[in-house]
Amino acid sequence: MLAVVRRLLLFVAALFGMSLLVFAALRILPGDVASVMAGVNATPQRVEALREQLGLNRSIAEQYGSWLGGVLRGDFGTSLLTGRSISAQIGVRSQVTFPLIALGMLIALLIGIPAGCAGALATSRPARQSFRAISIIGGSIPALWGGLLLILLFGRGVGLIGILPSQGFPQQGWQNPLQAVMSLLLPAMTVGIIVAAGIMRYTRSALNEVMGSSFIDMGMACGMTRRQATLRIGLRIIAPQLVSVIGLTLAEMITGVVVVENLFALQGLGSMLITDVGNRDLLTVQSELFLLSAFFLTIGLVVDMLHQLIDPRLRAVKGGIQQ
Amino acid sequence: MSGNIEPGTTEPENKEPENIEAESTAPGGTGPGNKDSAGPQPEYDASTSETTPDAASGSTDETLNALSKKPKGRRNWLLALIALIVVIAVSAGAWVFSSLRSTPASTGTVAKSVTIGLKLAPTNLDIRNESGSALDQVLIGNVYQGLVARSSENKVVPAIAKSWSKSDDGLTYTFTLNTGMHFSNGDVLDANDVVWSIRELVDKQYTDADVLSTMKSITATDDNTVVITLNKPYSALLWALSGRAGLVFDKDASYDAKTQAVGSGPFLLSSFRQGDSITLTADGKYWGSDKAKTQEIIIRYFADDNAAVNALKSGDVQVLAPITENLASTFSNNDDYVVKAGDDTDKFVLAFNSKGTSTSDKRVRQAIRYAINNEELIAARGGSDAALGGPIPSLDPGYEDLTDLYPYNPTKAKSLLAEAGYSTAKPLTLRFEYANIYGTEIGDQLKSQLKAVGIDLQVNVVEFSAWLQDVYTNKDYDLSLVDHNESHDFYQWADPEYYYNYDNPKVQELYAKALAATSDEEEESLLRQAARLVSEDAPADWLFNYRVTTARVKGLSGFPVNLNQSLLPLWNVTMRNPA
Amino acid sequence: MNRRRSAIVLTSIWSTATGRFSLIVMSCWLLVALLSLVWTPYSLWATDGFHVWQSPSWSHPLGTDGSGADVLSWLMAGSATNLLIVLLAVILTAICGLLLVAAMLSSHLGLSQLAVVVIDALISLPTVLVALILAVPFGPSIMVIVVACSFGYSLNLARIVRPQAMLVARSAYVESALSNGASAGRVLMTHIVPNILPLLLVQLSMCAGTVILAESGLTYLGIGVPSSVASWGHSLATSVKFINVYPLAVIWPGLVVTVVVVALNLFGDALRDAVDPLENPRLRNPSPAPSEKTQEAADVRES
Repeated sequence: MLAVVRRLLLFVAALFGMSLLVFAALRILPGDVASVMAGVNATPQRVEALREQLGLNRSIAEQYGSWLGGVLRGDFGTSLLTGRSISAQIGVRSQVTFPLIALGMLIALLIGIPAGCAGALATSRPARQSFRAISIIGGSIPALWGGLLLILLFGRGVGLIGILPSQGFPQQGWQNPLQAVMSLLLPAMTVGIIVAAGIMRYTRSALNEVMGSSFIDMGMACGMTRRQATLRIGLRIIAPQLVSVIGLTLAEMITGVVVVENLFALQGLGSMLITDVGNRDLLTVQSELFLLSAFFLTIGLVVDMLHQLIDPRLRAVKGGIQQ
Repeated sequence: MSGNIEPGTTEPENKEPENIEAESTAPGGTGPGNKDSAGPQPEYDASTSETTPDAASGSTDETLNALSKKPKGRRNWLLALIALIVVIAVSAGAWVFSSLRSTPASTGTVAKSVTIGLKLAPTNLDIRNESGSALDQVLIGNVYQGLVARSSENKVVPAIAKSWSKSDDGLTYTFTLNTGMHFSNGDVLDANDVVWSIRELVDKQYTDADVLSTMKSITATDDNTVVITLNKPYSALLWALSGRAGLVFDKDASYDAKTQAVGSGPFLLSSFRQGDSITLTADGKYWGSDKAKTQEIIIRYFADDNAAVNALKSGDVQVLAPITENLASTFSNNDDYVVKAGDDTDKFVLAFNSKGTSTSDKRVRQAIRYAINNEELIAARGGSDAALGGPIPSLDPGYEDLTDLYPYNPTKAKSLLAEAGYSTAKPLTLRFEYANIYGTEIGDQLKSQLKAVGIDLQVNVVEFSAWLQDVYTNKDYDLSLVDHNESHDFYQWADPEYYYNYDNPKVQELYAKALAATSDEEEESLLRQAARLVSEDAPADWLFNYRVTTARVKGLSGFPVNLNQSLLPLWNVTMRNPA
Repeated sequence: MNRRRSAIVLTSIWSTATGRFSLIVMSCWLLVALLSLVWTPYSLWATDGFHVWQSPSWSHPLGTDGSGADVLSWLMAGSATNLLIVLLAVILTAICGLLLVAAMLSSHLGLSQLAVVVIDALISLPTVLVALILAVPFGPSIMVIVVACSFGYSLNLARIVRPQAMLVARSAYVESALSNGASAGRVLMTHIVPNILPLLLVQLSMCAGTVILAESGLTYLGIGVPSSVASWGHSLATSVKFINVYPLAVIWPGLVVTVVVVALNLFGDALRDAVDPLENPRLRNPSPAPSEKTQEAADVRES
């Protein structure tokens, strides 16, 4: 219990630290949103007027205070540039990014876990070697290049088998679910394949370990075949570790997601972040960076908690200590 | 190992259970056994083959019990998974099938909706505060209208005003407005709206207010007549009013100008998705004769050139402007598409800081101009851009071909540099900063061309906002590159405060005279003289006049080709599907 | 690891097909990187605007790029930049990782706890976010890539080597060294690091691969290697723009990156097998040098 409380306190401290860091990093920036808005033909007076109007002349502490206060109330403010609520904008963009992450992860799991099991169960040397080769090569492809190759293969209008859309998200968004999913398919495959290679490797090696253990012998003694024992008991034993790996893989995936969003012209959080940095839309960037960091810190927290919950051995240990 | 985010790190091929990295199940710091990190702990011990069974023996039974009770559960899960895959596959197939069938269904008809692809997206719709030609492009002439408008040859033509007259002293302009005009919300548009809009512009110093700095008064003598008087003659007034300065807004309407637009043009703005798309719908009640021919026009923005090309190839958009010349070759070889480059006023200005440490020396500036091979730069971009030898492009008044002032001549460049005191022993190093939107190629090419005459160019490609800060505001640069796309922007060379740091009283005098000129011929002749002076002083190299390439499908007509990055009237656009 | 052990490990890696492949690729990389410092087929700044995007030919084996420069020369020069980035990132990762490990092993309870919780809290921060936070104020640079990558990987590294480091730290000979008055730093360098070195090397070689992948991604996003500096990511990012017209141009840099990353991963794998006494019988031969400390430590614990 103490550990949980401590972990939560730490989480809050990390969030606070991130907010300071993000805020500070953005203050060192050259250039400001007022001069971007005013453009190349503006007079200095006009830039100064805009700066006043946007409240960029307030003190740093004041700006930080009002921003953090807003964040605590769940209000991320209004973008100076677009005049829209940042929360709303993030909400819209999340409709692309999170489904993309989820779909990518689904593809990764659908490929990675079965392939990992097959790799672990394969008996012939060539089969084992080829599974190993696939997992290593899959994990070595840059997301950018993988995406390009997939476009060259499947991109509608471009590819050899041009059947999938390779740019943009449908106008109607999720009101047209089929089209929305289709437009996310290639990008999700790009990130999915890379992650799948990692999951496949992990599953295979973890299963290999378990296969030599007494759990499997026990299962086989109860009448299961080796295959059944591995898939039913082995998978269950490695599940907690797999959850950890998947949770932390999400963080690794996001680099690929940002690249892929730009490559496939998807209007998600990643491409928004890159654009807003370019536009010096500081308030938006700091809110986005903070939110994304918070998201991943939360994932770390959840993974840690989940790990404890689903690992039967950990529960057993805990029981033992309490006795 | 449990918290390992690099899954590939546990790769024991067929390891025995004694494997050193075999088991550690708790994520760091959260395991209950972690309270005392000094003592031995089962979770962290590497050789756990001995310890794990103790801890886990209970759960093995648990696992087996659980399995023996509900073996079906696992199978159901598997079935669900297979079902899901099948559903996805079938729906994908169905979608592909349906999309294949829908195409021939609409042949030989005029399309109700046309999608066009553009590149630079406006960050918001507030045309009075937000600079950038992306807004002029989509809003002026489509949603908002000005007192007067521009033609595709960059001449002033009627819009809200149907005619105008100018007094002989050039100080009074009288505009006669059209009748029966109204805004899209039904409000009547008359001279009062015109006067209000222009007064607001000046009072609140909205974008481009400075072009009306010579204006003395604006009054509505009746509902259909507007009179503008000036303090001194200003020959560019009409042209200025055809841009943002002359836009007419509804003084009674209230809307969020950053996300909405209420104007008097042939289109309604029905949706705006920032950075992604804008949807224009024909206004059925539009007052003018230039009614929109297509019911709905969707404008999509592609920051990525490949995405744009893919969109045109796959039919998601019917026209693309601009398309990178090098990429257009996929379409120019195809009979289904038409590729055309239009005239424009974009000047790629490689400015030399006239007050820079070494660039203040005219010989250095001249040497750079001689060292640059403009033809090669144009060829690398695909060959459709036009050479430009001075500050005024062909569509603007005062144009003259000045390309032979500084022809490509590396020998002359070298001797000028030697004269200025630079040699291989004491090479000239120059900082070159420009915004990343222009790509890295042009920086590489300039670096290599200048290297050939012994100048070491240190290229720094930055965000546009950083460029604004370093070069535009602080004037801290040697060389800088920007696409100055505005028309009639010679004032830059007559303003010693502008970031060029170019200060030539003769040019300033000629420009002042040109502005005060009362006839077009006089204005053009004065501008021509001034432009020649500027070019001779070599405060910059005008790398080329960028001509925008437009690619469209064959059935599309009425899409403007000239000037379409700042002026894009869409009312005439129609799309006839091939029969 | 002493010299004899290193020799055994290297020959063991060489004896497997994948190990040999990885060693060959890595040596080629090193050679090309060194060669590019003194010679490339063309100067990087030998651009020719009249011959952009040329297909491969005898004079330009991999064709030319968008400014008419030789693609092969840029890739060669890029291999030096990437080598530099990888080396810097690996060194920084190793230093930070070891410092974290040392903190976790510290007898000061507060410090060790702090190290553990800091790792837990920060390990889920993605590289790209760290890179953005750095690149926004400081602009794109090699250091952004190096620091952003090292940040994540050193946390990761510390987490992975902790169990083994702890095992060594609690062994009898470390205790005796400490009781003989050896400083904590000395114990770390003479006893703990040599024992976790194999695991460390495996992790670092995997990390090297990830750094290269990160470089290409970050450079494409404009927050990595600055323009006019050759790198594989730069070559990939510039060719991406013209994939529709010149798809071949995109093949080369992507292929180079993939092959090198595969080699680094295979090397990590082969290294793991080669340094593991259970997998590699040659390491179990009676050895004159008393170096099997890990085994000793395990023995001590079991008894």
